[in-house]
Formats: sequence, C-alpha cells, structure tokens
Amino acid sequence: MDFTSSTYLAFVAVIALSFNAWNAPRYRLWVLLIANLAFIASFVQSPDQLAPLAGFLVLGYAATRWVARWPKPWILGFTVAVIVVAFAVLKRYTFLPSGIGLPFLYLQIGLSYILFRILQMVIDSAGGEKDARLGPLHFFNFTCNFLSFVSGPIQRSDEYLAQLDQLGRKVDETLAFAAFHRVIKGFIKLAVVSAVANYLFAALSADVLAEATSLSGWRYVAQYAASAVAYTFYLYYNFSGYMDIVIGIGWLVGQNLPENFDRPFSARNIFEFWARWHMTLSEWFKTYVFNPLMKFLAAHVSAPALLPYLGVLAFFVTFFVMGVWHGSTGVFVIYGLVMGAGASLNKLWQVFMTNRLGKKRYKSVGESFAYASLARGLLFAFFALAVTGLWVNMHQLSLLAHRLGIAGLTLALVGTALAAAFGGIAVDRAGRVLAALAPRLQGLNAAGVAARSVVLASEVLLIFAVSSFFHKAPEFVYKAF
Amino acid sequence: MRAILKQVLYLSIALVGLYAALLALSYALVPTVSGRAGLDTHLAADSIFATEPKYVFLNRSAVRPEASRIVFVGASNTVVGFKQPEVQQLLPSSEVDNLSVGGSNMTQVAQIVDLVQDLQDSAARRRTTFVIGMWYGMFVQDSFRWATPDRHPGDTDIDIERYRYGFYRRTDAGPRQLVPPEDLPLGVMLIHPYLVLDALSRLAGKDFHRLLLGNPPHRTDAERNATIVSEADKVLALTYWREQMHSDGPVSEEQFLVLRDLVARILAQGSKAVLIDLPIPRWHAERSPYYANYLTRKKTLLSGLQGEPGFTYLEMADQDDDLDFSDEVHPKPRVTPLWATQIAALLQGPHT
Repeated sequence: MDFTSSTYLAFVAVIALSFNAWNAPRYRLWVLLIANLAFIASFVQSPDQLAPLAGFLVLGYAATRWVARWPKPWILGFTVAVIVVAFAVLKRYTFLPSGIGLPFLYLQIGLSYILFRILQMVIDSAGGEKDARLGPLHFFNFTCNFLSFVSGPIQRSDEYLAQLDQLGRKVDETLAFAAFHRVIKGFIKLAVVSAVANYLFAALSADVLAEATSLSGWRYVAQYAASAVAYTFYLYYNFSGYMDIVIGIGWLVGQNLPENFDRPFSARNIFEFWARWHMTLSEWFKTYVFNPLMKFLAAHVSAPALLPYLGVLAFFVTFFVMGVWHGSTGVFVIYGLVMGAGASLNKLWQVFMTNRLGKKRYKSVGESFAYASLARGLLFAFFALAVTGLWVNMHQLSLLAHRLGIAGLTLALVGTALAAAFGGIAVDRAGRVLAALAPRLQGLNAAGVAARSVVLASEVLLIFAVSSFFHKAPEFVYKAF
Repeated sequence: MRAILKQVLYLSIALVGLYAALLALSYALVPTVSGRAGLDTHLAADSIFATEPKYVFLNRSAVRPEASRIVFVGASNTVVGFKQPEVQQLLPSSEVDNLSVGGSNMTQVAQIVDLVQDLQDSAARRRTTFVIGMWYGMFVQDSFRWATPDRHPGDTDIDIERYRYGFYRRTDAGPRQLVPPEDLPLGVMLIHPYLVLDALSRLAGKDFHRLLLGNPPHRTDAERNATIVSEADKVLALTYWREQMHSDGPVSEEQFLVLRDLVARILAQGSKAVLIDLPIPRWHAERSPYYANYLTRKKTLLSGLQGEPGFTYLEMADQDDDLDFSDEVHPKPRVTPLWATQIAALLQGPHT
C-alpha cells in the first residue's frame, strides 16, 4: 500500500473511524490488530509470501521468553546472533554465500524495523526489564504496527506499553485538527517539496551518471554536487514527511509515536546531526551498539591517555554498522565506511581541539558565528556527498570516483560546504523574520474553525496542484532501506 | 469520532468553497476552453492544454459530431505535414482533426484512436476515417520508448494524461476509467483551475528558459523553408535515432503487430483506415541502418491488409527530395500544401 495512494487514505479513514467508534481499550486493540494484518497483507499476493515474516516473528517472540528465563550472557549472545543471521538470510544480503536464501518470493518490507524492535526486547528482557516481554497480541501489534511497519519510527516496548493507558483516549476537536494539520504537512513535504527535489535530482544526475557525458572539469563537479544536494533534500523531506503523516495518523488512533527529526541541517557536528536525523534509529544504535562497545573497550584498555580515542573507534564501528544496515549490496559497505570515517574524524578533531584549546575555549570557539556557520556547512556537505552511496550502484560509484578524482571530490566538498554555510545564514535570517510573525502562525490552533479549515484546504489544494505537475507520485524512499 | 467527522466536514466545506472561488477566478482569467471547429494538436502549445498529449486526451470530442470526420494520427511529422487548416479547406464537408502527437510510437497512436472511438456511437464511428501517418521512427518498442525515470515504466504520454487529473486509475490490469467518456466535458470544466495553472507555469518556464539559458524561440516558417541540413546535423540526427531505437536494427516487430491490430480494430468498428508511408529525406533513408528492414516489414504488413474493405494505403515515401525537409524527418512548410492536396484527393475519391 503506497502512502501517497488513495487506497492508503481510504484505509486510514476506515481504521480511524472504526477505532473511534467505541472507547473500550480491548475493542481498540483488536481494531489495531486487524489494521496491522490488513496493512501487511496488502503487500503480498499469496499467504505463503508471509511465512518467512511469521517465522521471524515467532523466533523473536520465543527469544524474548527464553532469554528472560535463562538470562546468561552467552545465551543472550547466541540468541542475538541467531536473530541477526536469520534477518541477514531473509534480507538476502549479497555477502552471504549463494544458495543460502529461501528460493521463493516473500515479503521483505518491514524486516529491518522488526529486527530493531525484537533485539530491543530480547536484550532488555535478558536485563530483567519486565516491559520488554509482551504477550502475543501486544507483541504483534508492537512489532508490526501499520504506522511504523515500513520505516519506523523505532518505538521501544516500554513506550508502547506506556501509551496503552491512553488507548481509550477520546479525540477532541483540538487533537483532531492537530492530527489533520500534521498529516497534511507531511503530504506537503512528501508530495510537494520532496517531489520537486526528486525532479531536480533526476534531471541533474542523469548526465552525471551517464556512460557518456558531455560534462567535464568543474562543470561535472558542480553538477555532481548539485545532484547530491538535491538528493539530500529529497531524502529529508520525503522521510520527514512520511514521519509527519504516520505521527499525525497515530494521534487519531491512540498512539503517540516518537519524533524522528529535529532540524538536522542545523547540526554543527556529525553526532549532533544523528541526534536530530532518524533520531529513533540513532538512539537505538547508541543504546545497543555504541554504549556496550564503549563499556567493553573501557574495560579492556587501562591507559587513561587512550580513553578519548576509544570513542573514535566506537563511533567508527557504530556508524559503519548503521551505514551497512541501509542496504544489502557492496556499495552500502562503502557508505558505512565513509560514515564511520566521518564520525571518527569528527571525534578526532574534537579530541585534538580540546587538547589544544582546552574545553572552555574550544566551546567558545565552537559557538562563534563564523565557526558555527562553517561547521554547519561542512557537516551538510559531508552528509550530502556521503549519501551518494544511496543513489548509485557499484559501477556508477567507480565511474563517479574516476571522473571526480580526489581534486574533484575536494572541490565538491568545499564548494557545497561554503554554499551550505551561506545558505544556512540566509535561512537563519529568514527564520528571524518568520519568528516575528510566529504569534500569528503558531496561533493557528487557537484560530477560528473557518480560518483553520481554509488554511488546511489551501494546503490540500497546493498538494493536488503540485502533484498534477509530476508524472508519478514520489515513492517513499526509506522503504528501500 | 464526532470530532474527527466534524473536522472532515469543516475541511470538505472549506475545500469546496475555496475550489469554487478558484474555479470562478480561472474562468474569469481564461473564459473558454475551446470552440474552434477542427482539432489541431499544432495549436496545443498556445491553448489552455499546453501540451499535445493533454490536448488530445482532454479535448478529443468532435466539434461537429454530425459531420463525417477525418482524424489524422501519427507523430510530429503528421502534425506539421498535414496542417489541419490546409486539409480542412480542401474537405469542407468533413470535420478534419489532427490528433497526432510528437514522439508517438504505434502504441500511443492506437491509444489515441481508442480514445476517439470511446466518445463515438456506432453511427459516428462509421462516419470516421483515421489517417495514420507512419515512418520507421514510430516503431520503437514500448520498453525503450516509454522508459524514462520520471514515469512508470511503459506509461505513454497519453497514459500520463489519463492519470494526471484522476480521469483514470492505475491498476495491475492497466488503466481503469473513473470518469465515463460522456462526462469528459464536465470533468474538463472542473479541472479548469489546474489547466490554467499548468498553462501559466509553462509560459513562465518558457520565458525563464529564454531569459536564463537563451533558448532560441521556435523557427519561423520562412526560416524552416530556407534550412539546408548540414553534415553535422545529419550525423547528430542519425546518432539520436540510433539511441532512440536502442540497437542497429532490425526494427522491432512488436510495433508492426500493434499497427496491424489497430487497423483491424478500426475496420471492425465500421470506421475506415488510411495508412500513409511518410517520406524522410533521401540522405536519411540511405544512411539509416533501419530503413531497409522497415521497408521489408512494411511490405509484409501491407500484404496482409491490402484488399480489406475500408483500408487504403498511400505511398508518399518517394517524395524524398532532401531540399523538401527542414531536418531529418519534418517537411518544410512550403511542401505541406502539396501533401494536403494528395490526401484530400484520396479522401474525396472512391475510398470515401
């Protein structure tokens, strides 16, 4: 079921109305169960295509039980390994030996996010967390929530349980308006902004990736950088638009899904960036990869002088794994290496500057206007160029590397960084002007019904108008990861 | 529940009110959609429909439904080669429409014929003659012709127009009609604000391109008449068509089968079909790796169609003087009156 399709909207309407027809929590739980089953079923042509997913869920459910019963570290390690291997086989990672996968077509969408939820429950169950052990109905509704099935956000089981108290919540007019507003805002991001960015990206990147291109020299570098920037905006508005949609719908069906984006392009270093981009994924990796790894390294390295550098290694591993998770082909390994290298270099820079300037002075330098603007620009440029790994295959990547060379890549990085730094300053200035109008803009919730409805209707018409310019609705890009 | 339904109601009322205001505004800006007798895709760019495929899809109703109708279908050389006013002048008792769309292959031509017939009853179909202009560049197979990143694979330009405003819905079994053909004029009336917006944005885009990129305006008829195709342009054109055809030959059989089925369908509906082999300049025919194979496949096709009641073939390929063409395929404006005379003579003859 495509998020931009009328089928999805009709599906959501039926679910929201059925859910709100009766306040009884048990009834609502079953409505959500049916919604989840129907949503998943919409991706397959026959029931057998669901068998691997069902098997993976059964494995996950059993795992949360046995690690809680026998909470030994080696049992936990073995269980996690079994789940990760099962996931890798089901995802058909290309680095696995051929012939190891299942020889038929089956549903792969959603597996990555189910993996995160299952691992969280398994690890927390082993740690004695009661909230990590859910009954079968809650386990299914939590792991296969139709709102976050395709691409998150990655909710935790304790958050899921906590919001069950609100399952009987009645939707009042304020919440209904807020939900509609959030969903429509999401569609504007997805169907308007990301669609325009995608159109520009397709137009710009065609020549960059063509086997025979008329572009050369700085023109090639500039067009590559422009393609990367267009793709970055496409990715951001597409994904954050999707988040707005599912969070808004969630408010209508008794769910408060966690936020996943917080102005990521205002970040000044890679760690701040990941605390603002795909926040639930970053939080998951911090909790279940970075922290245990740091703990392990710290326990095995006794020299205090080396301690700051352990972070460099831990960040490299965490960002590398996070990068590799995005896809099953070799190009994602390179993407992971680039992200890992970026995080390590950023950490090394922080260690170097702290040693050289001292904590206080480094902090004050970091907050200076020029440094902050340049850091923001450089971070944006690094991310935009790094996500090239998400829009090329291995052959195209080597073609790009050959055409750009070290000099071209450096030029693209510096040029994009400077443009982003000045762009960021311009956006800040515009933001200040808008802030002056903020009382009016933010007062939309308090505005009269007619004014609020006209604003929403204008937004809907804008979506239809811009959509009619394009030949196909933009696909939800993170579905592929 | 009540709060959600209320919100839906408020939003619906606001949408209807706002859209009604936009509709009134767009009609105030551009009062009429069409009213001109005889459809002509050559005029699409200057119309509210802005593009040829949109013009054909939304504007395909006959203006004089009671008259016998002659509908030209084909690619851009049929658009510029058979100028609607020139042919109409020679055939005053018929309604002459040119619904050819640049870049068409036979699949798209067949779709246009089907769209026209969708709006006709059996009597109107019997009064209709489809004139199909063809040349080898229209036999690019679908998987190559309709494969660009901005479209669903296989969607023709006409398909895109079917889906654009929701007249059709995409299904696994192909396009499903949502708005019945008889409601087409009402549908066009309701999407008027979007048509105006699209036309205005294209106009602005054209000016923007001209201003920033210095894109040259369209060549005048006098300039096209004076054109001598240079060797460099010939090489560019041959390279372009090699890229379009995606091989050095032979020409795909797929599109000949589509054409054969199209003619059979036209005849089965009681309409008549005229197939014209349009000329290309001699240098192009001689240097193209596809032309000889195209002639062979055409011969096979014609051997199956000749003698079918209602079917006529017109050979024009021999009118291939290099000086009569402004590029590798389009006739110069000074030649088109002659083309009009030939087709008018045929249509006035025993065929009709």
